[in-house]
Amino acid sequence: MITIALSKGRLADQTLELLETAGYDCSSAREDSRKLVLEDAAAGLRFIMAKPADVPTYVEYGAADIGVVGKDTLMEENRQLYEVIDLGFGACRMCVCGPERLRGSLDRIPNKRVASKYPNITRAYFEKTKRESVEIIKLNGSVELAPLVGLAEVIVDIVESGRTLRENGLDVLEVIADISARLVVNRVAMKMKSGEIMPMLEAIRAQLGKDKEERGQAL
Amino acid sequence: MGNYRFHTPDGVSDMLPEVCATKRGIESKLRNLFDASGYQEIETPGIEFFDVYAGGNFVAQENMYKLTDQEGRILVLRYDGTVPAARLVATVLKDHALPLRLSYIENMYRFRESGGGKQREFAQAGIELMGVSNAQADAEVIATSIAAALEIGLSDLQVAVGQVDFFLGLMEEWGIGGEDAELISKLVDQKDSVMLEKMADRMNLSPENKETLLMIPTLFGTYDTIDLLEKRVTGARAKAALTDLREILDTLKDYGYTKYISLDLGMLRSLEYYTGMIFKGFTREVGFPIISGGRYDKVVSVFGRDVPAVGFSIGITLCITALHRQEWGRERRSTDVVIGYDAGPGLRKKAIRAARELRKKKMRVILDCAGKDEKTLGEYAKSNGIGQVIFIKANDSCLEGETEEK
Repeated sequence: MITIALSKGRLADQTLELLETAGYDCSSAREDSRKLVLEDAAAGLRFIMAKPADVPTYVEYGAADIGVVGKDTLMEENRQLYEVIDLGFGACRMCVCGPERLRGSLDRIPNKRVASKYPNITRAYFEKTKRESVEIIKLNGSVELAPLVGLAEVIVDIVESGRTLRENGLDVLEVIADISARLVVNRVAMKMKSGEIMPMLEAIRAQLGKDKEERGQAL
Repeated sequence: MGNYRFHTPDGVSDMLPEVCATKRGIESKLRNLFDASGYQEIETPGIEFFDVYAGGNFVAQENMYKLTDQEGRILVLRYDGTVPAARLVATVLKDHALPLRLSYIENMYRFRESGGGKQREFAQAGIELMGVSNAQADAEVIATSIAAALEIGLSDLQVAVGQVDFFLGLMEEWGIGGEDAELISKLVDQKDSVMLEKMADRMNLSPENKETLLMIPTLFGTYDTIDLLEKRVTGARAKAALTDLREILDTLKDYGYTKYISLDLGMLRSLEYYTGMIFKGFTREVGFPIISGGRYDKVVSVFGRDVPAVGFSIGITLCITALHRQEWGRERRSTDVVIGYDAGPGLRKKAIRAARELRKKKMRVILDCAGKDEKTLGEYAKSNGIGQVIFIKANDSCLEGETEEK
């Protein structure tokens, strides 16, 4: 029995689709119910529906063997996991954003204030990569608001199309990392259940390769 | 003040009788096992100077509990068993003949970067074999760790064995150093094949070398893995690491432990600490390795004496969780007998004598001190799962006789 922690929402649907095309019966997880644990003993799969930010925790502690979660959450949570496959979907970028006039002059702002839903990523980027100390303001949503009302000079957030940014007069100033959904595995499960997990990883990799090929032909 | 008087601090917990009994059972099994192989137990202080751990950069400072003494010097709560043992071997025991076999069973204190269910105070047992640097010593320590897990009832066991020299040798061979090598080691350790592939391209590795690098994280074989990799590497250091692993496997075969072993050359945690073979032990139902160990030839030298060393630790708290979830080996330590007595001359003395007699026979005996009468004592025994009740009454000589029969 493999336990898979899914990030509730679009990521979960895309993961199930991938697993199904890779030959795993996920009908139990498709059930339209409010159950949080969905089990299919015959298929040897159990699904946990979790909040995205909690998926790395479930997997690190071994409550789930495998998890599917965005790279942004992994970077923010920084858990001890095996991060084995880039699933490709849910692609976006983690960026420093602010008003266009700050482009290139970001380093010259003293006592910079940075608003973000991702305080750990923000700290790691400014302290380790840029070697600056900044004041981090943790917000829980609509981060774009912060520079508009003078709460912060810039923000760190994920950017998909950039439309929200543009409509609010903001722009991407620096790219921190490329983000997409990742498949993570618990370190113990990798050893104790390698007989079940390794073939699943292989099947997923093979399916991803096939998808990529098909997309190549379509172009 | 007083708002926290009903609580224990984060990451520590009370240990209730049943769990405590399991723990003591595990401890005594491990103590006997280590003792039987000549590992002498030591106790080091619960607090050490910060410098003991800071000297070799062994532990990130945010992971240690710190306090200060009257002179303002920084102290830390014991973080592990190995570093204090290394300090001992280089200082107090510096004239002691080698090899030295030491063991410990202690509580450790660690701040975790992340919260959750992992305890900040937890018990660990472990051994250190100081003064021998060869595959036999490595295998002895791995074998002892397997024996330890089996002894406490965790037979569903997998031990992954790696060798950091293999990876470091490859990096040397391919001319990769500094931050790049560090990043690659991290990616290999996390089995992040995606980034690893990108990194390999950035480093302009040849197709064969790239294939080798991408292979490392998921090769979990034994001799087959060594055979395969030996054909793919040329550098002396990486080859020597494989030869070392082969010898370790050969020795473990003689112990009869091959079935628990698989190799994992992608285990590259704590490269500043481990210098050769490293290993981790896993069991079902806990998400963390229960056993962790390896060769650390440079640690003792930080304290001024060059002594090669190898050791392991087993997390007792994690083992209790595993045993509990696997529903094995729960120690039932209920009391066998409860003895009560009536008011009256000489009856208490009789009761005390009876209790002593039975305790000598290794029975667990409670002597009632609450003055319960025969009926309430019976009810007490029933609700606490105590099998036998003895009540001593005046002019009731046969009761004492009964205790003597038992």
